[in-house]
Amino acid sequence: MTRNARSDGLHRAVRSFAAGDRSRSFGDLALEIAEFQRAFSAGFARLWASRGGHGQSVDDIPGVPCDAFRLARVAVHPADEDQLRFYTSGTTSGARGMHAMRVTETYQELALAFGRAALLSTAGPHHVVALAPLLDDPPSSSLGHMMARFMVDFEGRGAFDVRSPERWLIDERGVNLTGLEQAAARASERGETLLVLATSFALVGMLDTLEGRTLPLPEDAVVMQTGGFKGKTREIAPAELRAAIARTFAIAEAQIVSEYGMTELTSQMYEASLPGSVLERERHGAPGVYSEPPWLRVVPVDPTTLEPVPSGEIGIARIVDLGNVDSAVAIQTQDRVRRVEGGFVLLGRAAGATPRGCSLAIEEFLSQGAP
Amino acid sequence: MSDFQSEARRARLEPLFASARSLADAASERGKQARERLAASSGLSPQGVDFALLRCLETAPDEAEIATLIRATPSAQVAHVLLSANVFVAAHRAIAIALAASEQVRVRASRREPEMAELLLAGAPGSFQLVDELSPRPGDRLWAYGSDQTMDEVAVTLPAGVALHAHGSGFGVAVLAGTHSDSELSALLRALAEDIVLFDQRGCLSPRVVLLQAEPAVAGGLARELARELAHALAELEQRVPRGQLTVQELSEIAKYRDAAYFTGEVLEAGLGFVTVADTAHSGSWLLPPTGRNIHVLTSANARASLDPHRPLLTSCAFAGDPGLREALRRALPGARLCRFGEMQRPPFDGPVDRREL
Repeated sequence: MTRNARSDGLHRAVRSFAAGDRSRSFGDLALEIAEFQRAFSAGFARLWASRGGHGQSVDDIPGVPCDAFRLARVAVHPADEDQLRFYTSGTTSGARGMHAMRVTETYQELALAFGRAALLSTAGPHHVVALAPLLDDPPSSSLGHMMARFMVDFEGRGAFDVRSPERWLIDERGVNLTGLEQAAARASERGETLLVLATSFALVGMLDTLEGRTLPLPEDAVVMQTGGFKGKTREIAPAELRAAIARTFAIAEAQIVSEYGMTELTSQMYEASLPGSVLERERHGAPGVYSEPPWLRVVPVDPTTLEPVPSGEIGIARIVDLGNVDSAVAIQTQDRVRRVEGGFVLLGRAAGATPRGCSLAIEEFLSQGAP
Repeated sequence: MSDFQSEARRARLEPLFASARSLADAASERGKQARERLAASSGLSPQGVDFALLRCLETAPDEAEIATLIRATPSAQVAHVLLSANVFVAAHRAIAIALAASEQVRVRASRREPEMAELLLAGAPGSFQLVDELSPRPGDRLWAYGSDQTMDEVAVTLPAGVALHAHGSGFGVAVLAGTHSDSELSALLRALAEDIVLFDQRGCLSPRVVLLQAEPAVAGGLARELARELAHALAELEQRVPRGQLTVQELSEIAKYRDAAYFTGEVLEAGLGFVTVADTAHSGSWLLPPTGRNIHVLTSANARASLDPHRPLLTSCAFAGDPGLREALRRALPGARLCRFGEMQRPPFDGPVDRREL
């Protein structure tokens, strides 16, 4: 069977799994995808061989370090077959990681399915805006692309200009507060639930601009917040930020849902805590606890051996995402996590390795724009 | 500066040099004590401490170099020194620079590595003051060594009128160009292995990347050959100078680096460390290895151009190749110490090892 025929078959199998088909288990599918990647990615084949080349269980699949996406092409197919290329924000002089996708349907189906479950609190109509810069064309940010897909799918009003400035409420002057007020008014007039998709640094920027003033949203509004700060603004503790957003928007804290995702993944994770959402009904998640979709698993591993840690202990996250059919089915992050009832908690990034001193730390190298 | 001033400055340095000499002497009581205390504080193996003291502590600096250091050092009412950890011998040069600047020298040692400053002071009592906190005043000068983050923190807390000489983070690179016989190449790589092993690669002069300048058609094969030879040299040296203890964070960075290197090229075990080689297809991206005796081999048809983007971070460049390229690198990297393989950790005693503020 050709590479693309195998890939297409795996994509179908993953989408079918996401739709509820359990004729193949998560582990079997993960191993099948890993075998496929080993056959068509020399880099992954070398990495797997370094572990002895045995693939008995999903825990045997080595995670491709996120750095590899910056250093090399992480894809089983050639560049001319890319349908989408998402770039990490990372550094400024070309050192951005790239996640190439040959098949976009899987990304869209998986992102939409779990996004709907986590972010829609009612079956009624929604109005979606983003506290993010205008989506570029073609989209280079996976987050921006996802936000645009949510606008189209969650509103269900058919085709509209997803690049309309009234949808993207950050520009060179900062957060467009008037635009957000207008979106809130539109949603109220139409009886739609307002969904605000926002990055953490945009929310902090907004709070700074408001200087303690409020900007009330409709009482059923939902805010999805995602991402770290990456030095773009002052940092605020998650609980403090959540409380400040709730106070500013005059909504309940439970209506603020955190998302955890990254360019190197196809799928996303959410807090299962939004009242009325499918995810909350099924999992009763607590704020701060991220819930995985059935087609993704977060495994805390020991930072030095990369072996899974005992249940309840802190490790760095190896993420097995069945959606990554054509790139890396398992990725190794430096995010510290601990499994808890109903999911996992994020504990920030592992501290830089180099003891303080004059030797250059890897993160310093990257932050200074290494090509 | 008058001859008298210059002589006075030179005289202030002599007790420090004598103190350093006695520390380097493994047979002396002070030498033995230094080895014990530094092995405990630095995390290096006892052999690693001994190797560093014997190879890198400047016990008999060249007079011409000392004269250059004195000429290049501005005077100060009070000279303050904020020491870094990791490279314990650096305390010696840092204090010497301060003594060249002022009769009054106040030193704050690193909390992680306080031993070397104390050991130097014990052998040169009264030549400088060890303090817990530095409080520079207008007219004073502060020589600070450490991470860029520390330098930023220092800069914003310093009172107006205090001159800051900040020496932040950096790394070294080794450039190999031209043709070399097998025996020459072996000797070069054994020397480079010493540069890597010293201080378990935690210094800002430590090499982290080898850049091989070669034509693309042959570069991949040459790089793999070089990597094998270097891995052998490192493993051999590790028998004599074992690696010390690494932190969990360092080991974690190494695991991440190793796996990224497997994905992008070849990984060779080199004792407890690794030598990695990039596929020529990925040679444009630099995989910077973490500390702990790891080095990445890259190829380039134009070494000078490949180094250019990293110029602000390069403190040291070992070079072996034709004189024309050496001269081009010297001009292109004014902030980096250009030296021979095996001499990266022993720059001339003519001022701070980090010349990037020049």
